[in-house]
Amino acid sequence: MENKLQKINEAASYIQSKIDIKPEIGLILGSGLGDLANEIVNPVYIDYGEIPHFPVSTVEGHAGRLVIGELNGKQVVAMQGRFHYYEGYSLQEVTLPVYVMKQIGVRMLVVTNACGGINRGFKPGDLMLISDHLNMTGSNPLIGHNYPELGPRFPDMSRAYSPRLREQVLEIAKRQEIPIQQGVYAGISGPSYMTPSELIMLARVGADAIGMSTVSEVIVANHAGIEVIGISCITDMAIGEELEPLTHEQVMEVANRTKPIFIRLVKAIVNEVTL
Amino acid sequence: MQDTMKKINEAKAYIEGKIGFVPEIALILGSGLGVLADEIENKITIPYQEIPHFPVSTVEGHAGQLVCGDLEGKKVIAMQGRFHYYEGYDIGQVVFPVRVIRALGTMSLIVTNACGSVNTSFKPGDLMLIRDHINLSNPNPLIGPNLAELGVRFPDMSEAYSSEYRNIAKEVAKQNGIDLKEGVYFWYSGPSYETPAEIKMIRFLGADTVGMSTVPEVIAARHAGMKVLGISCITNMASGILDQPLSHQEVVETADRIKVTFITLIKKIVNQI
Repeated sequence: MENKLQKINEAASYIQSKIDIKPEIGLILGSGLGDLANEIVNPVYIDYGEIPHFPVSTVEGHAGRLVIGELNGKQVVAMQGRFHYYEGYSLQEVTLPVYVMKQIGVRMLVVTNACGGINRGFKPGDLMLISDHLNMTGSNPLIGHNYPELGPRFPDMSRAYSPRLREQVLEIAKRQEIPIQQGVYAGISGPSYMTPSELIMLARVGADAIGMSTVSEVIVANHAGIEVIGISCITDMAIGEELEPLTHEQVMEVANRTKPIFIRLVKAIVNEVTL
Repeated sequence: MQDTMKKINEAKAYIEGKIGFVPEIALILGSGLGVLADEIENKITIPYQEIPHFPVSTVEGHAGQLVCGDLEGKKVIAMQGRFHYYEGYDIGQVVFPVRVIRALGTMSLIVTNACGSVNTSFKPGDLMLIRDHINLSNPNPLIGPNLAELGVRFPDMSEAYSSEYRNIAKEVAKQNGIDLKEGVYFWYSGPSYETPAEIKMIRFLGADTVGMSTVPEVIAARHAGMKVLGISCITNMASGILDQPLSHQEVVETADRIKVTFITLIKKIVNQI
């Protein structure tokens, strides 16, 4: 832990030695959305395995590299593949890339994921703008020594998903005629899916969607002073009273079907949002 | 675990050697509330780093020492600065001092904290008697082999906060014209503050306040058979209630503003216990 700052600096220096640009927007691409990185122009690919101190992604459907370049006229760094707590990484490892992004210039982070819908008004294939989250992982990535260089000991989370940017996203979606839901994302550790009783409980405490990523990355982004946009793709319904057996293949099928519209939305956001 | 008992006993022996009395009441002083220790007379101060096996406090506003002496005619031992789970300590380290204090022979614990209000009828500057607590998702400090010298494998938590002490606190507050609220404290690990969605959930679940301490210490104290009184100082409205960000500065300032009332209340309670 003593050398966390050093790890961040070494990872950032390595990345900077490979690129000529200063990316302002970070993209974390969730399950099935990795293809968005293929649209990046003049891309520089950096495998996670090359970057000092980066963990290596293990989950199916996650490539495991940074793609840095231009997307719709903006300089971006995209994580094609992310690290999940359930893979066995510490939350410090899961969130290290967010601090590294900050270090190379990122001021705004677009976090995406595939998740289950708890709100009965949703259906598989819907996109949801995350308005807020519930951290139900049982841990917090900031537990441990605080480095004031990275952010305050007790970061505020009252505007974790930037209200300013959420307004812009809603307007952009409207202009693009892309229907978008809004709701609260409950982040759990996984990797087991939830039981019907657990889902009923989460519905009662205010969750609209549920997934196994995002909250730790968003806590760290807020700690580091990065503005956040979160967008979920609802790949299956997770309603406790009506739960059917679920496989990762089903999730991927819906994610793939929704991909074109999801990619179009994220590209429009990158293009039109004001930093 | 014999190792843990050995550590507890070594720390206890060190403190015993310094103070030469059995404290009747222990006080754990929360963020911004450490000034209460200044009221202790015939003071003996022991920095945590001197005590074998004690962790060392890192958070701003926590001095990190035991202050032992007389308060209102009682022998007391006060923790000026505590250990928080969010600092990265193992949960066993967080409760280590409570176990050492119990080993000294102390049977009463007054635990205090600064916290956020989830209950919208409370306001910053209010004091709240803790009626009960909720530990939803943080580890239990008793996980591991049971320290049978201290207590039972499955400690009862039906009266974690002594009803006798709660009655004393209410009576003292009434006699001194102090508006003492009463409610349920929810332990949130932190260190990031809660989101508004989390605060709605915490309210729905039945809590009145939310904070980053106290619960592990109370579980360990109850395990070891101590009687507990808990007083929260409400330093801010929880996330999303007011249209403003939360800051540690606000917490420290409010704690400072109500310290006189807080000190009065605690001193009178110590007198009556």
